[in-house]
Amino acid sequence: MKRLVQDERPLVAIMVDGDSISARAGDPLATALALAGRLRLRASPNAGAPRGAFCHMGVCQECLLHVDGALRQACLTPVRAGMAVELRGVP
Amino acid sequence: MTHDLIVLGAGPAGANAALAAAQAGLKVALLDEQDGAGGQVWRQPLPGLTGLPVSAEARSGDALRAEISASSVDLRLSRRIWSVGGRFRVDALGPQGNETVEAPSLIAATGAHERVVPFPGWTLPGVIGLAAATVLIKSQGVTPGRKVVVAGCGPLLVAVAAGILKLGGDVAGIVDLAGRRDWLAALPSLATQPELLGRGLGWAVKIGAGRVPVYFGHAVKAAQGEHALERIVIAPVGRDGAYASGPDITLETDALCIGHGLVPGAEVTKLLRAEHRFDRLRGGFVPVLDAYGRTTVERLLACGDGAGLRGAIIAEQAGRLAGLAAAHDAGVVPADRFAQIADPILAAISRARPFSDAMAGIMALRPAQVAAIAPETVVCRCEDVTRGEIDAAHEAGAHDLNQLKHFTRCGMGPCQGRMCGDVAAELLASKVGSREQAGYWTGRPPLRPVPFDALMGAFDYSDIPIPEPAPL
Amino acid sequence: MIHDLAVVGGGVHGATVALFAARGGMNVTLLERGALCREASGVNAGTLTMQMTRVALIPYALRAHAMWASARDWLGHEVGVVVCDGLSLAFTEREEELLTYRAGKRREAGAPIELITGAQASAVEPGVSDKVRLAGYCRVDGFANAYLTGLAYRRALLGEGVALREYTPVAGVEREAGGFALQTPTGLVRARRIVLAGGVWLEPMLAWLGVHLPIKTLVNQLAVSERVAPVMRTVVGIANGLLSLKQYPHGTVVIGGGWQGLGDRERGGVELLPDRLIGNVRLACHAIPALRSARLARAWAGLEAETKDALPAVGPVPGVDGAYVCGSVHSGYTSGPYIARLLADQLLGREPELPLFPIDRLLSPGDAPRGHV
Repeated sequence: MKRLVQDERPLVAIMVDGDSISARAGDPLATALALAGRLRLRASPNAGAPRGAFCHMGVCQECLLHVDGALRQACLTPVRAGMAVELRGVP
Repeated sequence: MTHDLIVLGAGPAGANAALAAAQAGLKVALLDEQDGAGGQVWRQPLPGLTGLPVSAEARSGDALRAEISASSVDLRLSRRIWSVGGRFRVDALGPQGNETVEAPSLIAATGAHERVVPFPGWTLPGVIGLAAATVLIKSQGVTPGRKVVVAGCGPLLVAVAAGILKLGGDVAGIVDLAGRRDWLAALPSLATQPELLGRGLGWAVKIGAGRVPVYFGHAVKAAQGEHALERIVIAPVGRDGAYASGPDITLETDALCIGHGLVPGAEVTKLLRAEHRFDRLRGGFVPVLDAYGRTTVERLLACGDGAGLRGAIIAEQAGRLAGLAAAHDAGVVPADRFAQIADPILAAISRARPFSDAMAGIMALRPAQVAAIAPETVVCRCEDVTRGEIDAAHEAGAHDLNQLKHFTRCGMGPCQGRMCGDVAAELLASKVGSREQAGYWTGRPPLRPVPFDALMGAFDYSDIPIPEPAPL
Repeated sequence: MIHDLAVVGGGVHGATVALFAARGGMNVTLLERGALCREASGVNAGTLTMQMTRVALIPYALRAHAMWASARDWLGHEVGVVVCDGLSLAFTEREEELLTYRAGKRREAGAPIELITGAQASAVEPGVSDKVRLAGYCRVDGFANAYLTGLAYRRALLGEGVALREYTPVAGVEREAGGFALQTPTGLVRARRIVLAGGVWLEPMLAWLGVHLPIKTLVNQLAVSERVAPVMRTVVGIANGLLSLKQYPHGTVVIGGGWQGLGDRERGGVELLPDRLIGNVRLACHAIPALRSARLARAWAGLEAETKDALPAVGPVPGVDGAYVCGSVHSGYTSGPYIARLLADQLLGREPELPLFPIDRLLSPGDAPRGHV
């Protein structure tokens, strides 16, 4: 994934499973993670197969993760400086 | 009652319904899950981006948002609507926690979501929906990958491909389930809306100039990659959507945008037990409506793609009609005035219908494509339920969709059956005889999953209204 | 042809009677207007607890618990039964009193419930709140996966040769020489004896025979979380019985307790009341604090039948030879298989191990059937 327009929003640091990643403030978290090369967001319940954001509009629930301890959909959650993101068991 | 009318969904249908009703004098609450009005089709661009190509959709969205701001409509954004009941009470989680709005009339304008007919590997990271791609491109200035393949059917194919090219991205191919013949057959109907046809042809020219290979009459057979998408295999299909004889073609790609039409998000009208009927052209089970959008439940109306796929142009008009009908039924618009405003809108809808039907026809679910799903392919993403398990459940006695859910957990996960429901029902219908027999998921709250912490808010144990104990 | 027995109603009660009657050598048909176990028997919270069971039913529930725990042996199929410890919690002084009294009565009836401190409760259930003042602790507890009930019974009934008639609503019953004729859309179904096992629909069913047995319809709200990491390992309730909470092996947490929604037997569970859903969820998260970080995935309502004295209606229909009724068992999912098996024993001419619950006690003098039936 790549942004092809000019982005004037400030770059901020967020923590993802303990790693610091820079992201644009206000970007949907799902997009920010993909731009940072993090496509795998969770493991499927039975097969344990990798899954990533699919619908980017709040429907499919594939991008569910923990933000500051609470379950949130990454595609509906804007990036804030310092947010702590935990993925749910990436295979 | 906090309002005269509640409108759920602030896309072209809902926003216009709210505006029409407010103009007629109703006190209207307009709720949406996103942080800007416009729905998915006219989605608001992220602030702070410069150089986003200005599209007709962006202009329409901006105009709509300006009109809402200037109106008396009580617009409430970032609201996750989870409960709709009473006559009518809506509960939604917003920035301040759970809030309740009440009104004697309700309009459901909740839009549609992606339909993808499963194939091996469709669950790999890097595979996204076509509508998802439009969100990334139009409102976020992002291309889904370095070498994108756009696949499936319907007008979104060319819109997404052209959108990526416009941004300066690379499209490795377009894989269209429809053949050239299908598009030629649709052309006379499409020509009834010259502006929209022109827009589509503009996209096609862009795609031609970008020398993007177009595979008409082909479908994605598999998406492959170890941890994320690396390549896809495509194969020719017949007009019915089933694989036909012909060579497989492998395309290297890091992003596949795929969609096979849309499914109406009719959850609100199902929850409120309005009558529904199956309409393949309109995308699935849709509420039974009169010409103005009234459902079979008194003072409950529905409009837009959530009430049956008809596209954004008709959604705007249907929204106006529904808003007006709600105002009329509330007694603030006299019958003669109602007819005076409604009749030209009805005429406009009739004129737009051939175009809308042709598009819907190209996007409608092809039963043979569903029949070709391999047994080991995952159908329900949330619960990892395969086609083989669905077939086995039917063998074991599951004869309707809700029983299938009990037997397999298909549709029991957090997407609440939105991603798999239409295909699972089609699979079952092929065994039990019809979509009517297979039925649809019973409407249940919450309309979307809601975090317990946000739902509960802060409380003391003594605040909980615990009922009287059961008999000993 | 004429069946030895026709059972009307394919919930746990009807299906169990049919199963054991067929096993005892009877030629049995089961008629169900929808699919098997899709009403109360398929949508209840699946709790198999003594701590919410009525005192009079404890001896039955204990035996039924043993049946559920060995479902694979007699039913032949998996219903996802987990046998585990159960806790009934008291958070206030008033609840302590209530719990002490209620647990005492249930213990007298045979339920092995002991009272333990909050600290001891935390040892039994590490997920429990530190605000617990007193807990009822019972080792005979557990839960089943209610939505699998229909699948399991379906296989078992077919395996036993029961003539299963799903999606076959019965419109009425005629008495005729040597038995009964049941009216269905596909014609009359004849049987020498009938069992009416219609849950909340027992009242209209008995009216076919001219018997008026008032049955109240409870509309129990239930909720389930999406899959989460383990937050609990026991069945948890509260002293007054308004909570049942457990986590399934696949990670979902089911919240029940009988908070009432809107509905009736004609329309089913029509509507859930959001304030009560929130109340039930608050109670659940108060008991198991780690649940707060989960999400509500789905909520629904299940209908429960209740007689005037909230005790079962199981036994012969007075004045109508060959007709029987089976249902309205409080905590009916827990006790259902055992109580229905007792009725099957009676039908097979065996002395039931424990007494049935004949409905004569519930009928007014004018409610017995009149000559025309």
